[in-house]
Amino acid sequence: MTATTAPPAPPGETTAPGGGKRTRAAARAEGRAAWILALPFCLLFLVFTLWPVVQSLFMSFTDTRSRDLRTPFNVNVIGLENYTRAFADPVFRQAMANTAYFVLVGVPLTLTVALAAAVALNRGISKLRGVFRLGFYTPVITSIVAVAVVWRFLLETDYGLINTALAWVGIDGPNWLGDPNWSMPSLIMMATWRNFGTGMIIFLAGLQSVPWHLHEAAAIDGASAWQRFRHITLPMMRPTILFVSVTTGIGYLQFFEEPYVMTSGGPLNSTISMSMYTYNQFGFGNYGFAASLSYIIFVIVAVVTAIQFRLLREND
Amino acid sequence: MLGSRKQQYWLYGVLAVALVAVIAPFVWMVLGSFKTTGELRQSPPTWWPETATLDNYTQLFARLDFGGYFTNSIVVATAVTAGNLVFCSMLGYALAMLDFRGKRALFVVVMTTLMIPGVVTFVPLFVLVANAGLVDTLPGLFLPFLVSPFGVFLMRQFILGLPRDLVDAGRVDGAGELRIYWRIILPLCGPALATLGILTFLGSWNNFLWPLVVAQTEQSYTLPVALALYSTGQNSTQYGLLLAGATVVVLPVLVVFMIFQRRFIEGIATTGIK
Amino acid sequence: MRRPTTTALVLVASAALTLSACGRAETDGAGGEPQTGTDVAEGAADGTITVWAMGAEGEKLPDLAAQFEEENPGAKVNVTAIPWDAAHDKFTTAITANSLPDAAMVGTTWMGEFAGLDALDPLPENLEVDGFFEGAQGTTEVDGTSYGIPWYVETRLLYYRTDLAEQAGFDEAPTTWEGLKEMAKAMQTEAGAEYGIGLQAGGTGSWQTVMPFAWGEGAELTDGEGYTFDTPEMLEAVEYYQSFFDEGIANKSAPAQPTTEPDFVSGDVPMFISGPWMMSAVEEVGGEGFEDKYSVAKIPEGSAGSSSFVGGSDFVVFKSSQERDTAWKFVEFLADPEVQATWYDMSTDLPSVQSAWDTDALASDEKLSVFGEQLETAKAPPSYPTWEQVVASLDTELEKVTKTGADPAEALKTVQQQADSIGTGQ
Repeated sequence: MTATTAPPAPPGETTAPGGGKRTRAAARAEGRAAWILALPFCLLFLVFTLWPVVQSLFMSFTDTRSRDLRTPFNVNVIGLENYTRAFADPVFRQAMANTAYFVLVGVPLTLTVALAAAVALNRGISKLRGVFRLGFYTPVITSIVAVAVVWRFLLETDYGLINTALAWVGIDGPNWLGDPNWSMPSLIMMATWRNFGTGMIIFLAGLQSVPWHLHEAAAIDGASAWQRFRHITLPMMRPTILFVSVTTGIGYLQFFEEPYVMTSGGPLNSTISMSMYTYNQFGFGNYGFAASLSYIIFVIVAVVTAIQFRLLREND
Repeated sequence: MLGSRKQQYWLYGVLAVALVAVIAPFVWMVLGSFKTTGELRQSPPTWWPETATLDNYTQLFARLDFGGYFTNSIVVATAVTAGNLVFCSMLGYALAMLDFRGKRALFVVVMTTLMIPGVVTFVPLFVLVANAGLVDTLPGLFLPFLVSPFGVFLMRQFILGLPRDLVDAGRVDGAGELRIYWRIILPLCGPALATLGILTFLGSWNNFLWPLVVAQTEQSYTLPVALALYSTGQNSTQYGLLLAGATVVVLPVLVVFMIFQRRFIEGIATTGIK
Repeated sequence: MRRPTTTALVLVASAALTLSACGRAETDGAGGEPQTGTDVAEGAADGTITVWAMGAEGEKLPDLAAQFEEENPGAKVNVTAIPWDAAHDKFTTAITANSLPDAAMVGTTWMGEFAGLDALDPLPENLEVDGFFEGAQGTTEVDGTSYGIPWYVETRLLYYRTDLAEQAGFDEAPTTWEGLKEMAKAMQTEAGAEYGIGLQAGGTGSWQTVMPFAWGEGAELTDGEGYTFDTPEMLEAVEYYQSFFDEGIANKSAPAQPTTEPDFVSGDVPMFISGPWMMSAVEEVGGEGFEDKYSVAKIPEGSAGSSSFVGGSDFVVFKSSQERDTAWKFVEFLADPEVQATWYDMSTDLPSVQSAWDTDALASDEKLSVFGEQLETAKAPPSYPTWEQVVASLDTELEKVTKTGADPAEALKTVQQQADSIGTGQ
């Protein structure tokens, strides 16, 4: 992928421009070097990630309960029964719908806010950048307990700050966390607030590779700030945007902490998420079933990620 | 600079309002750590402590062997961060710039594990660490987290955005691949390394469940585990202790963020990609 | 994507296939006859044991253990304090990896699960531990076998504002279901309360407030074979509970995190049902003199009397212990009435041994002695490993009953169905 160099390399060729054809030996050396670079990662990864993954995948096809964990192979293989049971479970279906709602609204919102903040801090202002950067990052590092207490206060029906502000303009604010229709929007607001800081610092890193002279040249040609953002910044930021949207998407599809501390999945299961339901099943000791739920989440995440890769396609 | 004076003022105004809204919970957390439990339970909650007290902090420090937990946390978080910076950037470079057999498969497998919820591998991972005799040791706390698929993905995406000519120029000069990685690519990765460093350090620093389970004696507790000791009871929560603990945990992270934040700006200055 | 993915999939699938050759062994052998542990050797204890205890108990236990070490010069007790947060996860993973301590404090509702994991050592017959509250004793028993002792207890009572009750025309706490509802109504009409009583509108843990009423009607949650939720006694209690919400006496849209203490102090909600920890909590919010403005009373009687929920923590010894005798002797020490009284002084944890309540500190405190009375009839849920899962479905159905006015009979039928399909897990 060569989008950042001014004259794009001719398609289908990975050779150095003007350097002539690379020899076989050079290609072999490159492969060897690549694997040397990959080796430490691969070793650690194999032992501490892949092996547990394979084990848990096996578990998802069995009727493992917590009492079987001492003898993990001493269980019945029940094929896809856990999976069919999951799709028949009305609470899990509701959890899937809730999660879809959360992701479809939450991810675009978070990305937009993060990008806006990053662009504003990168070039929009000249002073106090460090202060704003630090400030916008504090939600990420604030303890979830404090976050929960303050947000409950903000969302309170009678004296909460949000409803007080709404009352100034004559709006009678809802019972945010107590009303099944408003509980999810409340959590989306909260999640956006908590997570845009991470996206922002990654965007800030990505913005460093946008050549500023292009902006200057375009400005001389009379392009507006929006046009320059749309036609210069956005295309150059593509790998970074892909990265942030994929990781935010993965995080949000597994969202857990907000309902866990704010609503316990209520009222009336309106905020229970797939991950929270899975976590509960682990707590009940239904390891096989919980593992199969995890892999359902995994497949959904994989599909969504593949779509994101397609949409923000890398031309390699 | 972009835009006119007037636009600038507008932008400052909007950002300032946003800043107040965004940092309010953080401020409340810090102020709350100076309140009595009674005041914290009041409804509606107060902003300024009515009777400011240091009780929460004195209690916390009197009851905990703070130095030991702090050291454990620092060792673990530093090891995890260093491991991620080095190993993930190595593989990230290989995936972004080099051609080799199995490249695509490797990337797909790494991305795949990024999507598997962590809770599902927790128990098998613990059994593995226990069988290796690493329970109640510091390596048991950090070894499983030295590399992360997230780090590889981040580094790969960033290096993809660097001009490919740099690598080719290095080759023309006769530098080996490892030397190109170390001498040419890595110095340009300042902003990405800073980002990865912040996120990894933060994640490791706040990790609760893994150190709780692996540490079997108080000697190998990390800070979040130790701070959770007395704040949550069976049926009630001591909010004052909880907030004081949360504040204590956050301070080192703030320092790390401020240090890396500077690296961020240096990154802009030194890379020359203005 | 292309071939490499397929290769990876095939690898994973073949790994799963090779493993799948194994099957479940027929029975675990644990069920059936009640067991007792082998006798503990006579004489003083010696050797070193490791003990886990949660939170504040973990912090204070070493002081008590020092007394044990003094009495048994050869013995040493190493206490590790662990946070309540995720303590359950720590135990289950430790059981899996066989890295347990010798003895530990455990939550009463975990007993069935841990016994099912074959981790607990049955109580030896020659250990001198007795005189516990009946309900508390029940928490240590799984399928007829006792696995340890109830260490300390708590139970739920009715909290009410005496000053506001007087204003509403009541100078005594209600003792019947009708009386409770009348008083709650009068709190609203006569004493300016927003809601007469704070009851949890379903959701996690709400069964702990409903079951005291059901037990008071004589409900049993198990017939020895399985769960029994769909009973007339349960229905009676759930209908009664629902009526508080239907008639606007209790708040059906209360936030997930209730503001019980401030509402109690302000008089907005002048009654609620909770455990002993609430005394210090409301007094902290209420400030000086508030302890004279409220009182506690036993749960109003149903047709079978007054009952409540008994909680607290048990103390167990693990099968894997190398110093089993010492560990059990330490447990025996903890169950001694005098030691229990000492422990109350150190921790304010209520003693599980009845005779320990005769000491001054406990007997002279008016409010505390009500807890003591209630404990005599308080009950614990069945110690089946699946209890937490089954009761979660009760909590969910209770939320529908209180918030949307769902039919209590239907709700209990649903809970029963789910409980039957989950099974007891034994």
